[in-house]
Amino acid sequence: MKKRSLGGSIAAAPHVVWSIMFIVAPLLFVIYYAFTTSDGTLTFENISALSMYQDIFITSVEMSVIATFCCFLIAYPLAYFMARASERKKRVYMVLLMLPMWTNLLIRTYSMMAILDDGGFLNTLLLTLDMAPVHIIGTKGAVIFGMVYDFFPYMTLPIYTVISKIDNRLIEASYDLGCNNLQMITRVILPLSKSGIISGITMVFVPSISTFYISQKLGGGTFELIGDTIERQFQTPTTYNIGAAISLVMMILILISLAIMNRFSDAETSGRIG
Amino acid sequence: MQKLIELRNIVKEYEGERVLDNIDLDIYDKEFVTILGPSGCGKTTTLRIIGGFETPDSGECHFDGKIINDVPAYRRPVNTVFQKYALFPHLNVFENVAFALRLQKVPENEIIRRVREMLDMVELRGFEHKNVNYLSGGQQQRVAIARALISHPRVLLLDEPLGALDLKLRKDMQNELKNIQQRTGITFIYVTHDQEEALTMSDTVVVMADGKIQQVGTPIDIYNEPVNAFVADFIGESNILDGVMIEDGRVRFSGKEFVCVDGGFEKNAAVDVVVRPEDVDFVSPEKGMLTGVVSSVTFKGVHYEFIVDIGGFKWMIQSTDFVDKDEVIGLSIDPDAIHIMKKSEYSGKYGDYSSFSDELEELSNAESVESDD
Repeated sequence: MKKRSLGGSIAAAPHVVWSIMFIVAPLLFVIYYAFTTSDGTLTFENISALSMYQDIFITSVEMSVIATFCCFLIAYPLAYFMARASERKKRVYMVLLMLPMWTNLLIRTYSMMAILDDGGFLNTLLLTLDMAPVHIIGTKGAVIFGMVYDFFPYMTLPIYTVISKIDNRLIEASYDLGCNNLQMITRVILPLSKSGIISGITMVFVPSISTFYISQKLGGGTFELIGDTIERQFQTPTTYNIGAAISLVMMILILISLAIMNRFSDAETSGRIG
Repeated sequence: MQKLIELRNIVKEYEGERVLDNIDLDIYDKEFVTILGPSGCGKTTTLRIIGGFETPDSGECHFDGKIINDVPAYRRPVNTVFQKYALFPHLNVFENVAFALRLQKVPENEIIRRVREMLDMVELRGFEHKNVNYLSGGQQQRVAIARALISHPRVLLLDEPLGALDLKLRKDMQNELKNIQQRTGITFIYVTHDQEEALTMSDTVVVMADGKIQQVGTPIDIYNEPVNAFVADFIGESNILDGVMIEDGRVRFSGKEFVCVDGGFEKNAAVDVVVRPEDVDFVSPEKGMLTGVVSSVTFKGVHYEFIVDIGGFKWMIQSTDFVDKDEVIGLSIDPDAIHIMKKSEYSGKYGDYSSFSDELEELSNAESVESDD
């Protein structure tokens, strides 16, 4: 890879241009805004001012961690049964899993609101059944529910892919050596699907921690997540800089946690052949 | 010897196709049994039924006098060495071998001692912390054997365990497996399509074809007294001819009458006659019981292999004497070299070398190995 052929450079060009325009340039803008005041002088005040958002940070992390964990609990068994199903059933399950993803995320979240609202479908149903209505919208539970509902397919798919590739003979070997069904899962399937779990966690945790519409719609405006804070800063031109600073810190935090997790999965999967 | 496993009228079907057709088989304690047959004959399915990975559609599987049809694999005192080993890629050599002991909650110091012992036995001392994915085929094979033997099973099932190894290593492992079996006194049930492997290692050979057991016997019995044309052809090389049993000790084939040692057939019964290629001697044409024309000669190292045309039927003959192509020769066959078999569904399908070539045989062998996976 010392020399690049001309053809290779030409083929790579659109991607390079695209990356510069839509990844590198915006990142540079974020960094520029994070370290300047609204009139363009260099400052660290944006970063040091972030301590006032500490509580929001903590709530966001807490809720995304809970949502990610719930996603894992739902997605893992689902992925396992999908992976062990016959080829025909696999296709059906896959379509069922992907189907909600064909609807826009915002629309799905809005319809969740319509269903769970105080005067919504669920409570109307409860009232007609002579049961007490439940207040859901505006609670943390509703927001976590929204995150789980919107993002759990992203947990299911990577785990499903990894489990599907596990050689059936390994499962038979584990039974042969004395595993019951539970031990087979904890001692063979679970460790062998670690890489899928880690990608799943990444793909749920990152969008959960930066979401703003889920907390706005299902949280009913009663509390704020970090995504909402960033969004609010960008509503008015004078607070761009503080918004950029929060984004930058978020990005760095996410990168660090991804690096830790990748280190984790590398150690586990290094040396696996095929 | 004591009966350990009994299969009674085992039937297994996949999508309407009968893979096992009324299998009846006794396996004795401390025996090395080989189930031998071409691909698709049902040998692996038989093994999987004993291992508990398949349930028979009907019939009974007894172990030590008890029916074990419904006993799951993990509760059977049987361990398996899988085709391509199936080692756990997330565990090192030590943990792979220790797997069964960890499940049984054996104390740590005993685990260390027993794993050492096993690794010593398969000559892998010092490999404890190696990654199993970086071992050679032969080493992975040894880990798989150690892993299966560590919990002292009554029976070890081996499903074509040497199929992926090269010839030299395969020969070494054959001896080693036989040694391990004799030292541990564990019953080995070994599945292969390689007849030489079966003859070399086994106490008892079970020949299967088309979902049925064709013959059970010692390697010598199977070779010298095949029950039908299929077994005669599958084990070694055979010339199989149509014959008529005139009376006990007298048989007619290739237009001549011969003295033989077999009997017990009806007078003038139609039979299959087997003559092994190494049991035919060349003599001068006038002295020969039969005369033929040599149609091809191949040098094989220890001996020559001839295809000889005798009255339109092509015989294979192996001899250390040399005769040239197109030469007319006489042939002499001793009475005890003539083996008589009853007619069977396999009569006429095997034992004629008119379309024989080494290349073709290799091709068809290679095919059967591949399609077996």
